[in-house]
Amino acid sequence: MTTSLTLASSRRPDGTPVLVVSGEIDMSNAGEFDTAIARAADGDAPLLVDLSAVEYLDSAGLSVLFAHAPGIELVANSLLAPVLSISGLADVTTVHGL
Amino acid sequence: MDLMFPGGGEMARRMRAYPWSDTSMGEPETWPTSLRTACRICLTSRFPMIVWWGEELRFLYNDAYLPLLGSKHPALAKPGDEVWTEIWHTIGPMLRSVMSSGEATWSEDLLLPMNRHGYWEETYWTYSYSPLHDDDGTVRGVFTAVSDTTERVIGERRLAVLQDLGAQAGRARSVAEACQLVGEVLERAGRDVPFSAIYLRRPGSDDLVLTTTSPRGAALTPLADGPGGWPAEQVLRTEQPMVLTDVVERFGHLPVGGWQTPPAQAMLLPLAGETGGQTVGVIMLAASAGRALDEAYESFLGLVARQSAALVNAAVAYELQQRRAEELAELDRAKTAFFSNISHEFRTPLTLIMGPVQELRGELAGAGPQVRENLEVVHRNGLRLGKLVNTLLDFSRIEAGRMQARYEPADLDSVTAELASVFRSAIEKAGLAFHVDCPPLAEPVYIDRSMWEKVVLNLLSNALKFTFEGSIRVALRAEEGHAVVTVADTGIGVPEHELPRLFERFHRIESARSRSNEGSGIGLALVRELVGLHGGSITADSAEGEGTTLTIRVPFGHEHLPADSLVPAGAADGVSATADPFVEEALRWLPGDDDPRGAAPAAATASGAVHPHAAPDAALPRLLIADDNADMRDYLTRLLRPAYQVSVVTDGRSALDAVRADAPDLLISDVMMPRLDGLQLVAALRADRRTADIPVLLLSARAGQESSIEGLEAGADDYLVKPFSSAELLARVRANVELARMRTHHARWRTAMIDSLQEAFFVTDETGAVIEINAAFTDMLGYGPEGLPYTPMHPWWPSEADDPQAHRMVAEAFARLVSEGRGSCVVPVTHREGHQIWVTATFNDVTDPGTRKRRVVGTLRDVTAEHYLVQRETALAALSMRMSEAGTLSEALSEALECLREVWRARQILAALWSGAEEPELASTDPGVRWNDVPEDVRERLTALRECPPLRPIANEAGGAGITLEHPGGLLVLWIDLGQNRPFTTEDQTLLALLTGHLGQALHRAHQLDQQREAAVALQRAILGPSRLPTGFAVRYEPATRPLEVGGDWYDIVPLSGDRVGIVVGDCVGRGLEAAAVMGQLRSACRALLLQEAGPAQVLTALDRFAALVPGAKCTTVFCGVLNTTTGHLVYSSAGHPPGIMVHADGTSRLLDRGRSTPLAVKPDPARPDAEFTMPARSTLLLYTDGLVERRRRPLTAGIEEAGAAVQDGRATPIDDLATQVMNRMTPDNGYSDDVALLLYRQPAPLEVDFPAESSQLAPVRTALRDWLSRCELNPSVIQNVLVAVGEACANAIEHGHRDAAGRGVHLRAVATAADLRLTVSDSGGWKTPQPEASTHRGRGIALMRALMQQVTIESGAAGTTVHMHARITR
Repeated sequence: MTTSLTLASSRRPDGTPVLVVSGEIDMSNAGEFDTAIARAADGDAPLLVDLSAVEYLDSAGLSVLFAHAPGIELVANSLLAPVLSISGLADVTTVHGL
Repeated sequence: MDLMFPGGGEMARRMRAYPWSDTSMGEPETWPTSLRTACRICLTSRFPMIVWWGEELRFLYNDAYLPLLGSKHPALAKPGDEVWTEIWHTIGPMLRSVMSSGEATWSEDLLLPMNRHGYWEETYWTYSYSPLHDDDGTVRGVFTAVSDTTERVIGERRLAVLQDLGAQAGRARSVAEACQLVGEVLERAGRDVPFSAIYLRRPGSDDLVLTTTSPRGAALTPLADGPGGWPAEQVLRTEQPMVLTDVVERFGHLPVGGWQTPPAQAMLLPLAGETGGQTVGVIMLAASAGRALDEAYESFLGLVARQSAALVNAAVAYELQQRRAEELAELDRAKTAFFSNISHEFRTPLTLIMGPVQELRGELAGAGPQVRENLEVVHRNGLRLGKLVNTLLDFSRIEAGRMQARYEPADLDSVTAELASVFRSAIEKAGLAFHVDCPPLAEPVYIDRSMWEKVVLNLLSNALKFTFEGSIRVALRAEEGHAVVTVADTGIGVPEHELPRLFERFHRIESARSRSNEGSGIGLALVRELVGLHGGSITADSAEGEGTTLTIRVPFGHEHLPADSLVPAGAADGVSATADPFVEEALRWLPGDDDPRGAAPAAATASGAVHPHAAPDAALPRLLIADDNADMRDYLTRLLRPAYQVSVVTDGRSALDAVRADAPDLLISDVMMPRLDGLQLVAALRADRRTADIPVLLLSARAGQESSIEGLEAGADDYLVKPFSSAELLARVRANVELARMRTHHARWRTAMIDSLQEAFFVTDETGAVIEINAAFTDMLGYGPEGLPYTPMHPWWPSEADDPQAHRMVAEAFARLVSEGRGSCVVPVTHREGHQIWVTATFNDVTDPGTRKRRVVGTLRDVTAEHYLVQRETALAALSMRMSEAGTLSEALSEALECLREVWRARQILAALWSGAEEPELASTDPGVRWNDVPEDVRERLTALRECPPLRPIANEAGGAGITLEHPGGLLVLWIDLGQNRPFTTEDQTLLALLTGHLGQALHRAHQLDQQREAAVALQRAILGPSRLPTGFAVRYEPATRPLEVGGDWYDIVPLSGDRVGIVVGDCVGRGLEAAAVMGQLRSACRALLLQEAGPAQVLTALDRFAALVPGAKCTTVFCGVLNTTTGHLVYSSAGHPPGIMVHADGTSRLLDRGRSTPLAVKPDPARPDAEFTMPARSTLLLYTDGLVERRRRPLTAGIEEAGAAVQDGRATPIDDLATQVMNRMTPDNGYSDDVALLLYRQPAPLEVDFPAESSQLAPVRTALRDWLSRCELNPSVIQNVLVAVGEACANAIEHGHRDAAGRGVHLRAVATAADLRLTVSDSGGWKTPQPEASTHRGRGIALMRALMQQVTIESGAAGTTVHMHARITR
C-alpha cells in the first residue's frame, strides 16, 4: 500500500502554475511527487506548490523540494512549519501561508 | 452466517458449512440469543471453549480446543456422550447438574496427556461449566471454558517436593542416612524425578561411590552398546551441572515415575560442600518424559540438588560433632583415670608422713610444748589431707565403676550407735545435746562397713559444723521394708532454693554461718553415691533457721545387691581409723582449744602450779631479759626461771633482733644499755606493727617521777626502779604477763583465725593502704606480707594502659572502699605473675579499738571460674537470641558481629569471607567499611589467618584476636579489634572458640532458611505467572519475610477478546502451602469466569458460590476489573479489597473505591455492583494486596497514601522500574510481614509494531502511531514532531533492510509515561553513516530527528541498529 497522495496541477488566473498537493509524502511516493513538480513547472514563472492539505512531510519530500528549490514557491500549513524551518527550506524558497 | 460464526478458523468454517437443520438444534437463525452469543464468544476466543446444547448436550467447540480433542475431531454437534464416552461417567453428571440446577460448577486440574509439541506431555486443565439459558430463561445448554493449569499444578507439586526435602533437615545421623532420606523423598516425588542416584566422593579421593537410588534398588547398568554410564566424574571435576539428552541410549528404560514413557533427559549436578570448597558428590536427577526439561525444570532440579547437598552436609557436620563428643567422653575417662592415679600417688607419701609422725608423737611426748604443738599441726593436717584424698579416690572409683563394695549383714543399730558415739565428745564440747535413738532392728541390713562409716560420719560432721545451739539427733527405725536413719540438727538450715543442689558435687552452700569455711563441697555428694551403692536413697528436709534432717533409707535383705559382693558377717571390730580425721577436724572448729588432744595432759601439769587459771595446755610464759650487766642478768634469771622460760640478751639491738625473731611474752629491759638504750628499744618496738604489742617492763637505776613518766611515754608497759625487791619484781612480771597473755591470746586467736580463712583477708588504713593480709591473700594474688604496707594504687590493679576498662572497675571499687567503707563488688585484678583473676571483694569499716583509727577490713574470694562461666553462658544466650531473630544469612552474621563486639566491648569486629574471589567480602560492625578501607597490616593478618584450622583462636599482641570458621559461602575470618592493647586472655580464647562454633552452626541454619526461601519464592512466582505479560503491565510478588512463607496473595492478567484485559488482585486468608493451593483454585476459577466474558461483578458473584465450596476460600478479598487498553475504560468490582490507586499525569490521584461489597462467600448472594472509570492518558493504576500498605499501629489509609505518593513520584518512571521502586519504598525495616501482590498499569499500553522493511509500510505504521499518540493526549505539534522523527528512523531502517536483506523486520516500540515519550526503532541492518554529498536527504533526516526530539541515540552493531528517541511532554 502506497501512502495516499493527491496531486492536482492547474494555473492561477495570472498564469502562475500551481501544484495542489494533499495527503502524506514519504519515501514511498517522493518519486511521484518529484515527477509531478517537474511536469507542472513550465520553466518561466516559479511553480507554486500548495502543501496546505499535506498532513505529513519528511526528509524524502524535503529532498524533492530542495532539488526544485530555486524554481518553486510554497504554501504551507502550521503542521509543516517546524520541518520547513528546521531543514532550512524556508530560507531558500518563499513560503506562504504561515 | 459470518455474523453467527465469525472468523476464519477451521471451526468457524465447519460451523458455517454444517447442516444444522438436520439436527435437533435447527437452523442457527432460530437459535436463542444466548446460544448465538456463546458461539460467537467461543469462536473468537483464543482459549479452549465448548458449548453443550440441548437435551443431548450437543458438542460445539473452537479451534483452541482441537489439541485437547485430539483424534476425536471432527465431532461437531455430536451428542456429548458420544464424544467423551470414556469420561462421561465423570462429566455427564456434572453437566446434568448444571442443566437441572442452573448453577455453575468446576472440575479442577484434570490430567490430560497431550501430544502438543511432539512428545506426550503431562498437562492439566480446569473446566468450568456454566448454564446457558434460552430466551425464556430455561437452562438449555452448558458453556465450558477450559484453562490450562499445568504450570500451577506442576509448580505446586515441585514446591511440595522441596518442602518435603526441607522437612528432612536435622533428621539424618549419618551421611548414608541423609542420602537415604533424600532417596525416600525423591521416590515419593516420582512424577517430577522418576529416577535419581546419589554418588558420594570417597573421603580423600576423587572416586565416586553410588550411595542411593530412587526408586530404591533400581538397576543402573549402562547398555552394552550405548555411549556409557553417567559422566559423573566430569561433573565432580568441573563442578558444573550437565544436561544429558541421551538417557535412553545410555541406559534403556529407566523407571518412569508414573508417566507412560521412560525418561529421556537427566541432569547431573554437583553436591556442593559446606565451605564452597570440595564438592561432596554428584546427584543424578532424571526428568520426567512428561515435561520438557526447560529452564523452570532445570532450576527445580538445581534446587533439589542444593537441598540434598544441604542435608548431606548437615549429616557430615553431625558426624563430626558426634566424633568430637566421643573424644570429649574419652577425655573425661582419661581425667577420671588421672584423678584416681594421682590420688593413689598422694596416698603413698601421706602414709610415709603419717606413720613416722605417729611414732614421733609417742617419742616426743615429753619434749617442749613448741615441738609438740608443731607435731600436732602436722598430724592434724596430715589426717585432713588423707581424708580428702580418700574421698576423691572414692569418687573416682564410683565414677569408674570400680568401687569394690563388700556387703555384710550387720546390726545397723549397734553399728550406727557406735559411730555416733565417736562424735559425742566433740558435740558435747560444742555445748550441744546429743541424742542417739537406735533401737535394735528385727533383721540385719547389708552394708559395706567402711562406706557406712563415711556416710554416718559425714552427716554428723556436717550437723556439728552448722549447729550452734540446741541438739543433734541420730535415730533409726524400720519402715516399709527399709531401715531408715535420720540425722537431725537444730542448726542454721538450708535455704529452700539451695535444697535441690544440696547433693551436687562441689556445690557449696554459701551459708551465713558455719563453724568452718573448710570443705570441698563433696561430702554430701559422696554420701549420696555411697547410699546409692547400697540401693538406698537420701533426702533432705530443712527449714532455714530451724534445722536440717537428712533421711537415709536402705532396704533390708540383699536382693538389690550384686551377689558377688556379699560376704558373711565379719567380726564387728569397732570403729576403724576412718573416724579419726572426722573427729579431729570437728574438734578444730570448736573455740578456745588450740590443741584438741595429744599434749593436753602434759601441759596441764607443767603450768598448773603457776597459772591455775590458764588453759591446761598453756606453756610457760617466755621472758626476754635485756641487760648489759651479767650479774643482773643472772639474778633476774634465777629469780624468774622456775616459773618462766627465760632468755637473755646483752643490749638493746640484740633485744630488738631477738624480739623480731621470736616475740616473748614479756620483755624486761634495762634503760641504760649500749648500742640501743631501753627507751630507744621501746620506741623501735612500738614503731613496728609486728612488735607493737609486746609488753615491756623497764628497769632503771634512775629514780624520780620524771624518768618513770619518760619511760611510760616511750611506750613501756611498766617501770621498775632499781633497787627493787624480788617480790615486787615477781608481782610486776606476773601482772604484766597475765595482762599480755590475755591480750596476745586474743591477738593470736585472731591471727590464727584470719590465716585459717580460705578467703583472702586484708585490712587497710584510712587512706586505703593495705596494712595486713593473710596467707590466702598471698596465695590468691601472689603478694606476701613482706611487701606491707601496699599503698594505692596497689600493685595488683590492672594496668591502665593495657586494660583501661578493668582498671576503671578497680578504681571505682577502691573509691567506694575509701569513701563509704562498706560494700561488695566483683572486680578483675592482676596476679603478681601477670594473669588476671576475678574476685568478689567484700569490705566493711571498723574502728581499731587500740588506736581509735578507722580501718577497713575485707575479704576477697576468687570467682574467676564462675565469672567466666557466667560470661560464657551470658554470651552464648545473647548470641543464640540474636541469631534466632535473624531472618537471612547476612542478617545473622551482622547480628553475631554486634554480639561479639558487645561481649568484648571491642572497637570493631571484622568478618572477611573468602568465597573464591581474590578479594574477600567484608562485613563489619562499622557500617560501610570495605576491604580497601581496612589498614594494610590488618588485611595481611586476616589473609594469614586463612591458613589456620577452623575454630582455633589466634590472639595477637597488638590488641586483637582472630579465628576462622566455615561459612556456607566459604571460609570466614573473624577479627576482633580490642583497641588499646588489651590482652586477649586464655579465657577469652575459649569463649571465642565456643561462640564461633555456635555461630558457624547458626549461619548454616540461616543459610538453609535462605535457600528454602529462594525455592519457595521461585515456585510461587512460577505458579503466579504469566511469564509474558501484555505490554503496559508490571507485577510483583513478595512473600512474607518472617516467618518465611508464601501465602494466598495473587495477581492475574487475562487477555480477553479485542483490546480488553481482565485484571485481578486477590488475597486469600492464611499462609503457607494450604493458602497457596486455595489461591490457585480461586485464580483458575476467576480466570475461567473472565474468559466467559462476564463482567467483574458477575465474576465475583460466581466466585462467591465457588468459594463457599472450597475450604479456606471464605473471606478472600478480590479486586476484579476488565480494562479496555485502547480506551482506558475500566469496569471493576471489589470484594472487600483495598481500593486501587489511580495517579494522573499531573500528579493528582484518586482511589478506585466504588463498586465495593463484602469479601467472598461471607454473605449469601451479596449484591455486587460494577463501577466504571476511564483512565485518562498517561495515568497509572496501582492494584495491591494489604501486605503492601498494612503496618502495625498505623491506619490503613496512611499506608495507602504512602503507596499513592510512591506512584506519584514515579509517574515518569517506566512501569517495570516503578514496580521495583514502589516495592522497595514500601518495604518495612524488617521486611514485609505479610505477602504482597502488586499490579501496575499505565494507559495507554506501549505501542509495539513489527513490519517488513518496505516503504509501503510507512503509511500504516504512521497511522498506528498517530492513533496511539492521540490516545496519549498530546498536542498536535508534538504529535507531528514524533511522527516525522519516527518516520525518519523507520525510513532509514527500511533502507538498511533493502540494502542488506530485503523484507527483514523492523520493530517500533513507543512508551509513554506521565512526563515523556520513549520511542525505539530497531532493525537488523547496519546503520548507514550519513554522507552529506552522497545522500543529502539522509543527513537531513537525522538532523530532523535530532531537532525534533530531546534526545536521540543510535546504537549500531552486528545484530542491527537501534534508534532511541526521547521526547519530553510539554503541556
